[in-house]
Amino acid sequence: MGAELTVRGVRISRGGREVLAVDHLDVKPSEHLFVLGPNGAGKTTLLRLLAAVDRPDRGTVEVDGVPIRRLGLAERRRIGYVTQRPALLSTTVLRNVELPLRWRKVPRPRRRAQAQAALERLQVGHLAERPALALSGGEQQRVNLARSLACDPDVLLLDEPAAGLDAEARAIFFADLDHALSDRAVTTVQVTHRPEEALRYADRVVVLVAGAVRQVDMPEMIHRMPADAAVASVVGYDNLVPARATPDGGVRVGDQPVGPVAGNADPGPVVVAAFANALRLGSTDQAGLPAVVRGVSPGPGHRVVLLDGQLPDRRVRLIAHLGLDEPAPSPGDLVSVRFDAALSAVVPSS
Amino acid sequence: MVDPVYEVLARSALVSLTASLVAAMIGIPLGTWLALARIPGRGVVTALVNTGMAVPTVVVGLFVAMLLWRSGPLGDLDLIYTVRGMIIAQVLIATPLITSITMAAIQLLPPELPGHLRSLGANRWQVVSRIWVEARLPLLAAAMAGFGHAISEVGSATIVGGNIHGHTQVMTTAIVENVGRGEFGVALVYGGVLLALAFVVNGVLASVHQRSGAWARS
Repeated sequence: MGAELTVRGVRISRGGREVLAVDHLDVKPSEHLFVLGPNGAGKTTLLRLLAAVDRPDRGTVEVDGVPIRRLGLAERRRIGYVTQRPALLSTTVLRNVELPLRWRKVPRPRRRAQAQAALERLQVGHLAERPALALSGGEQQRVNLARSLACDPDVLLLDEPAAGLDAEARAIFFADLDHALSDRAVTTVQVTHRPEEALRYADRVVVLVAGAVRQVDMPEMIHRMPADAAVASVVGYDNLVPARATPDGGVRVGDQPVGPVAGNADPGPVVVAAFANALRLGSTDQAGLPAVVRGVSPGPGHRVVLLDGQLPDRRVRLIAHLGLDEPAPSPGDLVSVRFDAALSAVVPSS
Repeated sequence: MVDPVYEVLARSALVSLTASLVAAMIGIPLGTWLALARIPGRGVVTALVNTGMAVPTVVVGLFVAMLLWRSGPLGDLDLIYTVRGMIIAQVLIATPLITSITMAAIQLLPPELPGHLRSLGANRWQVVSRIWVEARLPLLAAAMAGFGHAISEVGSATIVGGNIHGHTQVMTTAIVENVGRGEFGVALVYGGVLLALAFVVNGVLASVHQRSGAWARS
């Protein structure tokens, strides 16, 4: 059974600037929570708090009701922390994994077996006798993870464990991680700046922006109903267009209706958040946001069209993905842009 | 009466190796503490240690001799003109060097390493001992530098030891004495033997150093 984590009223400042402010966050036992946010959002700072490596300036962090400042060595050892940089030690792979077990006074034959089993689960058992620092980045990340899993933690904290791996290696790494955790009741908190990973593997997602929690929800809700424009940006909406919700329930960009869009908004300033494949380009005699095509380039399975949307008071950069079977505009063309309701959302502007 | 070379050599080795060992036992923990501790006054202690490296050995010898002199504050210990007194002086000479190199070596490790070790479940002693293992090559270099500094110094050995034949004469003081008497041939023999001793000790340490380094890179 994993442990329960509780964060209340936490504040951390660095150099006179507040870098983390979390009023209320609970992580349930055995839950797989993702912390999603851009670089510098305070994700690692939050994880280091949960790992009891750092302490908050104010507020409390508790593990099963015990404040981290009162955690003894035995309780700290229930927490496994996988850092972004593997920080392996200058000895063999097997000894790297065995060392934390030795510190826990696990008898030698058992710790050897546990360490080897953890390495096998992460597909690096064959590297056991190799010097750890001679491994590739991806192999080191796997050993780093195996080192934490070997101790059978109740809480596993993962700080972008696949950072630096290419897309294919990341996919394999996460599949292996998923497999390694599949038969364990462990509370997992994983940090990432990649929405596709959070939305795919999380039970719940916390979106952190500029040190503050902006939304905590199920992946589907985060994806379809981002709390505001900042969350929409983090979740991967390519276009954020200033707009105005009208009393009749419609949305206008400038003075143009841009199609039915999802979301409930009070009349007033809003933002239309739209994925690149939500943009529908038409001729200028159709209703929609007027835009000038700036460039067209090939993408994987689609064309990427860059546009300058012509708002009354400014321009807004837009990006659209067109199917390869659709007619491609040329740079300089004037088009009308509308948004597909199924692939866009109306969100508060702040 | 002239001491056999091997006797002077053995005394030199005894004094300098013992002093280096004691200096390492003080300097490595002190350097580690200075590198890791986040306390006020650390900068002052660091500056004092770095100043200690630049103090001439004769000044250290003078200071120790005044302490150990029969009428001095530690005169009752009867250590002036003894091998133990010379070891004390050489400990004071080698310790700042070993401390400073240790501090630099540990500061070169990834800054997140102590926190990382704690997050793996290490207690305080386990964190420190693992840091020493990770910094083993520069720590060995620190010990080598301490030994080199101790065995090559002549100022404190002369003042604190007194260059008494059969008791406190070491290789460096024997060289000075023989040069003073115009016995350059004998001085050269002592010089060659001293060089050979330093070469053997440092060779052994360098061999360990290189093997450890090669392993870490392989």
